[in-house]
Amino acid sequence: MIPGLGALTQDTLWCFSQLKGTVEIGATEADIISTVEFNHTGELLATGDKGGRVVIFQREQESKNQVHRRGEYNVYSTFQSHEPEFDYLKSLEIEEKINKIRWLPQQNAAYFLLSTNDKTVKLWKVSERDKRPEGYNLKDEEGRLRDPATITTLRVPVLRPMDLMVEATPRRVFANAHTYHINSISVNSDYETYMSADDLRINLWNFEITNQSFNIVDIKPANMEELTEVITAAEFHPHHCNTFVYSSSKGTIRLCDMRASALCDRHTKFFEEPEDPSNRSFFSEIISSISDVKFSHSGRYIMTRDYLTVKVWDLNMENRPIETYQVHDYLRSKLCSLYENDCIFDKFECVWNGSDSVIMTGSYNNFFRMFDRNTKRDVTLEASRENSKPRAILKPRKVCVGGKRRKDEISVDSLDFSKKILHTAWHPSENIIAVAATNNLYIFQDKVN
Amino acid sequence: MECALDAQSLISISLRKIHSSRTQRGGIKLHKNLLVSYVLRNARQLYLSERYAELYRRQQQQQQQQQQPPHHQHQHLAYAAPGMPASAADFGPLQLGGGGDAEAREPVARHQLHQLHQLHQLHLQQQLHQHPAPRGCAAAAAAGAPAGGAGALSELPGCAALQPPHGAPHRGQPLEPLQPGPAPLPPPASLCPRDPRASAACSAPSAPPGAAPQAAAAASPPSSPAPASSPGFYRGAYPAPSDFGVHCSSQTTVLDLDTHVVTTVENGYLHQDCCASAHCPCCGQGAPGPGLASATGCKRKYYPGQEEEDDDDEDAGDLGAEPPGGVPFAPCKRARFEDFCPDSSPDASNISNLISIFGSGFSGLVSRQPDSSEQPPPLNGQLCAKQALASLGAWTRAIVAF
Repeated sequence: MIPGLGALTQDTLWCFSQLKGTVEIGATEADIISTVEFNHTGELLATGDKGGRVVIFQREQESKNQVHRRGEYNVYSTFQSHEPEFDYLKSLEIEEKINKIRWLPQQNAAYFLLSTNDKTVKLWKVSERDKRPEGYNLKDEEGRLRDPATITTLRVPVLRPMDLMVEATPRRVFANAHTYHINSISVNSDYETYMSADDLRINLWNFEITNQSFNIVDIKPANMEELTEVITAAEFHPHHCNTFVYSSSKGTIRLCDMRASALCDRHTKFFEEPEDPSNRSFFSEIISSISDVKFSHSGRYIMTRDYLTVKVWDLNMENRPIETYQVHDYLRSKLCSLYENDCIFDKFECVWNGSDSVIMTGSYNNFFRMFDRNTKRDVTLEASRENSKPRAILKPRKVCVGGKRRKDEISVDSLDFSKKILHTAWHPSENIIAVAATNNLYIFQDKVN
Repeated sequence: MECALDAQSLISISLRKIHSSRTQRGGIKLHKNLLVSYVLRNARQLYLSERYAELYRRQQQQQQQQQQPPHHQHQHLAYAAPGMPASAADFGPLQLGGGGDAEAREPVARHQLHQLHQLHQLHLQQQLHQHPAPRGCAAAAAAGAPAGGAGALSELPGCAALQPPHGAPHRGQPLEPLQPGPAPLPPPASLCPRDPRASAACSAPSAPPGAAPQAAAAASPPSSPAPASSPGFYRGAYPAPSDFGVHCSSQTTVLDLDTHVVTTVENGYLHQDCCASAHCPCCGQGAPGPGLASATGCKRKYYPGQEEEDDDDEDAGDLGAEPPGGVPFAPCKRARFEDFCPDSSPDASNISNLISIFGSGFSGLVSRQPDSSEQPPPLNGQLCAKQALASLGAWTRAIVAF
């Protein structure tokens, strides 16, 4: 399977593969998925939810018998990553919602991931255990201590196979470094450090050291009344361990080089597109706020998501993006209502496919959009239970913007704004996508002919 | 799915969002509140520019009318103009004259705006020298409010310190000591440090009533001498009930542009005025607040859009309905505000509660917890969307999350 090739030509069809998650009736707010992330090989898929839990799915080994079905993802491990906390000093409740999960590259048999809520980052080790020692001298089979007086012989404990057990243990807890809400974490390509970004500061951590972090960006003004922008997302360059970018609520992206100075308050590059004055409205500042920034796999481009568009920037050109894609421009006239119901503050994420030829992002009504950068085609698909038959092909959807509505189009006013797709993930090398729709996780694959 | 893209409704929606964000789980979200403050600023810009345009239109009309009776109208309108666009134009990121052509055509108003701007700039500089006086002032105000007279102006929240340097209008005394000055700046200690966005009005002493007619004349374009127009503008622009034409000599009115609380002291009595509009839910209802001034001390609502009505009021008490929970000078009574609005809609009391919290600036809002066990901010009194409109300048940017 050549990743991305012809991803959105007429030959590419996306099929439903799996649906994970609770049924509608039993769903609570704690089940709402808040982050989705494939690991570097695509073998594991992690989700975090508002209740602070992490669920990891593992892809089955593809069996030679069933070539039609590629490996399915099944639950591998579930654990409670974060608990609700209370900051007594400030009388603030700290939500346990998992904001981001980032995998570390695999270096041994165990898997490591970082998960974060608003305040604390944790490094989790997920490892398998399929043997256990038996025959202890001082403990009996249930683990109770034996009376030493009853021990008359000695034996060597042996390892016996057992049912596979996957255990997750917190190996590091990186706490108390952020005053504001953490919005991003990013593992550096040196695999020794990572950064965590909150609204006003970015800290650099070493995985081994939990009681110190290094502040590399601080945009907090001396007088908070002069605050005009906050950091909304940050990411390390995929190959250059000294380079990272962070986006702001003003729609700008700054690229920083840590070699230039210890505190990277002065950017190396500044990406900003001049505002179109004809589009000015009450909500111009809100819709220009960048909700996600992602480097391409090549490291040459960055992609940013604001409320209505996705933009691709070339690192070598700062004054405007090289591509702009309208995600749901029909919402431009609805901004006031979206402001009233708070939807205008939704933070959509965006992802690249493995070959950087297609980008994907979510929308409302459980729609998600893909844009092929080469062919300039785009498609709107829907994650819905109606389309949840195995290998059912997803039909492209269309939103009609007034005037005559065709048969299978949906009008803007019929969109369900409570069904929003904020988090999606794309397998690093194959056309497999994971789409989080509230409390359900949809996995789609392209059709294997 | 359409909603009213009305500036005022946007402002109230935004304020509601900010208020509810304080009680949401996870603490205040800095990013969201920053974005909401941008919407607030934009809505206010629009609102103020509309107001100013309307104002200009009216002034154009009235220039053809008689001078005497609409005198105060001019004053009032002239007041209204800077009262709003001034705050808009110069407090904060907004530029003077940002109201558009209407503003540009109004030289006197522009000049007044400029003076306000200067005052505000100087006030901003002196924010650094804040000292805890406001609470004391407010406390004094609380104590003084029932008395209604002594240091009447000191009972303006946050404006207390105006009094000492300029002489307080004491009960029964003619208010001569209050001298107008072109751009008078009391020493830093006497500014209103409570609130960074406390307006230039705090810095401007009020004119003696005798100056009112001239001030009134001054307020009308364009012939007034600049120096007199500033405080006189404040003084004359807002027609105290007994101001029109003849007036008693022992009357002084000071407008706090911050809170839009206009205080008129007449013969030692305190008139406590509060900015309100016909739409403002926090006023116009409820019983008279305790500790307020005597019978002649009345609360006059300032209706920016109803100048004509106000002008006709000879009797200060005409508009009578006391601002509910009207204990603007009693900080500790802020929590009782809701008690005085039993008839208000939940929204109204929420918004007014919000705004009274808001009164100490956005930093005060965000850094405070919504429970009443905490010491209330020094500013109290009924602020409403109108006041928020006038005072948005600094706190559109002021978000202290923690």
